[in-house]
Amino acid sequence: MLKLVASRLLATIPTLFGVLVVAFLLLNVVPGDPVAEMVGERADSATIARLRAELHLDDPLPVQFGHYAWGVLRGDLGHSYITQRPVLGDLAERFPKTLQLAGAAMLLAVTCGITLGVLASLRPGGIIDRLSMLIAYVGVSFPVYWVGLLLILLFAVALQWLPPSGYGGLAFLVLPALTLGTRSIAFLARMTRGAMLEILPADFVRTARAKGLPETRVIGRHALRNALLPIITVIGLDVGNYLTGSILTETIFSWPGVGRYVLLAIQKRDLPAVQGSILFLSVIFVLVNLLTDVLYAKADPRVAYD
Amino acid sequence: MLRHLFRTVNLFDTAKSALFLCILAGCHGQSGGSGGARGLVYYETYDPRSLDPALSTDVPTGEMITLLFDGLTQFNADGQLLPGLSDRWTADRTGQRYVFHLRSGVTFHDGRPLVAADVKRSLLRVLSPGTRGGRVWPLLPIAGAQDYADGRARDVTGIAVLGDTAIAFTLTEPLAVFPKFLAMPVASVVSPAVPADFGQHPVGTGPWRFVAWEHDDYLRFARNPSYWGGAPLGESLTVRIIPEALTRAAEFLAGRISVVEIPFGETKKWEQEHPDWLKRKPALRPIYVPLNNRRGALRDPRVRQAINHAVNVPEILRTVWNGRGDLAAGSIPPTLGGSDPSRRPYSYDTTEARRLLRVAGYPNGFSLQLWRSGTNVEMGRVAQAIQAQLAAVGIQVEIVSRDASSMREAVRKGDTDMAITDWWADYPDADNFLYPLFHSASVGPGGNYAFYRDRVTDSLIMVARRTVGQSAREALYRRIDTRVYDAAPWLYLWFAVDLWAEHPSIEGWDIPVVFNGQRWTKVRVKAGR
Repeated sequence: MLKLVASRLLATIPTLFGVLVVAFLLLNVVPGDPVAEMVGERADSATIARLRAELHLDDPLPVQFGHYAWGVLRGDLGHSYITQRPVLGDLAERFPKTLQLAGAAMLLAVTCGITLGVLASLRPGGIIDRLSMLIAYVGVSFPVYWVGLLLILLFAVALQWLPPSGYGGLAFLVLPALTLGTRSIAFLARMTRGAMLEILPADFVRTARAKGLPETRVIGRHALRNALLPIITVIGLDVGNYLTGSILTETIFSWPGVGRYVLLAIQKRDLPAVQGSILFLSVIFVLVNLLTDVLYAKADPRVAYD
Repeated sequence: MLRHLFRTVNLFDTAKSALFLCILAGCHGQSGGSGGARGLVYYETYDPRSLDPALSTDVPTGEMITLLFDGLTQFNADGQLLPGLSDRWTADRTGQRYVFHLRSGVTFHDGRPLVAADVKRSLLRVLSPGTRGGRVWPLLPIAGAQDYADGRARDVTGIAVLGDTAIAFTLTEPLAVFPKFLAMPVASVVSPAVPADFGQHPVGTGPWRFVAWEHDDYLRFARNPSYWGGAPLGESLTVRIIPEALTRAAEFLAGRISVVEIPFGETKKWEQEHPDWLKRKPALRPIYVPLNNRRGALRDPRVRQAINHAVNVPEILRTVWNGRGDLAAGSIPPTLGGSDPSRRPYSYDTTEARRLLRVAGYPNGFSLQLWRSGTNVEMGRVAQAIQAQLAAVGIQVEIVSRDASSMREAVRKGDTDMAITDWWADYPDADNFLYPLFHSASVGPGGNYAFYRDRVTDSLIMVARRTVGQSAREALYRRIDTRVYDAAPWLYLWFAVDLWAEHPSIEGWDIPVVFNGQRWTKVRVKAGR
């Protein structure tokens, strides 16, 4: 297993270098001038020209890339053009908040989604199955934006149980986690149901029952464990997505996470901030994928990587 | 059964506890957003760049600088120029040399007394190439400032410190509006002790002292009890960062922010449900469509006039813009000196529009592109309405939707035929609407997005800048605005009227006509709350 992790980590280096190159090239191709965003409305051409020169924006692209890559190698993601603060510091400040939101959303999704899926699979076509599939259907279909605003109107404005938005204690976490988690609940429920329906008629489930095991044990230990692989896949993908920032949810709920940071950086053409964020988030994504692979092996001993 | 399920699948136990830890860690965090209705709570739509006046190039930053710092002069909410750190100033007869006398007894938040040398140091700091602020133009009229900004001089010759209590400015040429330039955030006076992270730990003389800043979340300020203009009535002021308009409305309804701008789609609802909370004020902000005077058919003034006649602006204002504007018959807002109330807007007259197009040589119309920013939904709707109405006179309009930054770049390069946009005043003066928007030196990045060039207009604007007498200056502005209006470099739409709600729990707030006109000193939570 250690060998697997080590080789995987080595393999991420070319991936991340590729990300670095692509991000750099894309940002230099898209229209929009970072200096124009720095100086704001009404600027004189002389100031713009001077700032471009000071930021080395007029250097040839390979030279600019060399500068940047050298900085990254030394662990320096550069300073934001707009705020003049170190990009890494900005990300470090926001990432724990994104982690918190993602964690809460996943907790919700995993508990509700898997439970619904398992219950649904026990009696296909039964009331619980139909109800949970309705919930799943609704969860997948409704746009995050709309769900979020509706939750705010209901729980914060009409009932006044929870704050509408902002960052703080548990009360602030409930609505955004629910909004973010809804899609995953729906997805996981469907996925679990499907996987369970394939497993339940299997011989080993029948054997478990024939041994006289209680039904909860049959379902929980024998059936669900064997249905886990596709579920872990879905969870892994969602966690990766959530950790890299959920722009819509963070915007609606004024949540100070990385998603909003990246969005503003893109809008302002803050090249170091965008490049740094892309690199940072790629690392996170790669790590989550690696963790998912490790979990596969743990969930199903037949999965062997080496 | 659920519990049992989780116990048996021990894989989840690990994950579960990890997630719980995440949440618990969060629970101990400071509940930043919870300003509640107890204190004064304002908001910005995105995080300020910095709290360093030298970096104040956007509205959120400028508004925060206004709370923390003072300039020699300042504006009130109605846009009147008032004394700031300087309680009186004199100009020589030509308007080229100004002497500002400092108010006595002013101290910085760190206790240091304010002296004239601090003013000079602050301005030099902004101009210094190493600062990379980007917004030095309000200081460039000072003699020697350009050389200093370009790194060609070690000092600015036009700034002279006269002892501890006065400072003199010599300008490269007479400039009547110069005292208004000094009211802009970038000209704020900062403490002599400027640490490297000044943008995070600002020290000024303003009505509010800096307390805390959680990025993308909130900023907190405490009253400066020894403020020279009288301590603010409120104890503290929290400024939250809330990007979404409908969330802001919800926060206001939940009593957690003190004032809110009414979201566009909700205008009617608020007017019906909470008329007594609403405040309305004409803003110094024209909404307009610059017609690129250098491109194709738009080079012909008759074509541009035809476009102005072909669009039913009053109807679009009423239906699409919810009536939140005053029709524009010129570029100078009606509340400013130099506007001409007797000038009539272009009439909606498609027959006249067709006639003008015919005599200009376009009897069968032509095609144009109209750019809009994808993020501004309201302006996008206006663009669609314009598209439909121009089609009626034979002008085929293709709407190009881009993000704001891409659009700005294209407009500044002159690559667009038309673009729907607005202009926010920096200082409340007609000069701020004529020089940047129509002088040939401002073409492109300077603000003249119509690429309008007219030698007579240029020289009249410069004459007005040098004219010291207020009424003579305003007469000149009227003349210039009429001349430009007749040439129709824009499709003139309207001046925005701001619509805000003040929470019933607070009093004393007023909509500022310029972003740096509200210091929150007269606002307080009502007694008995």
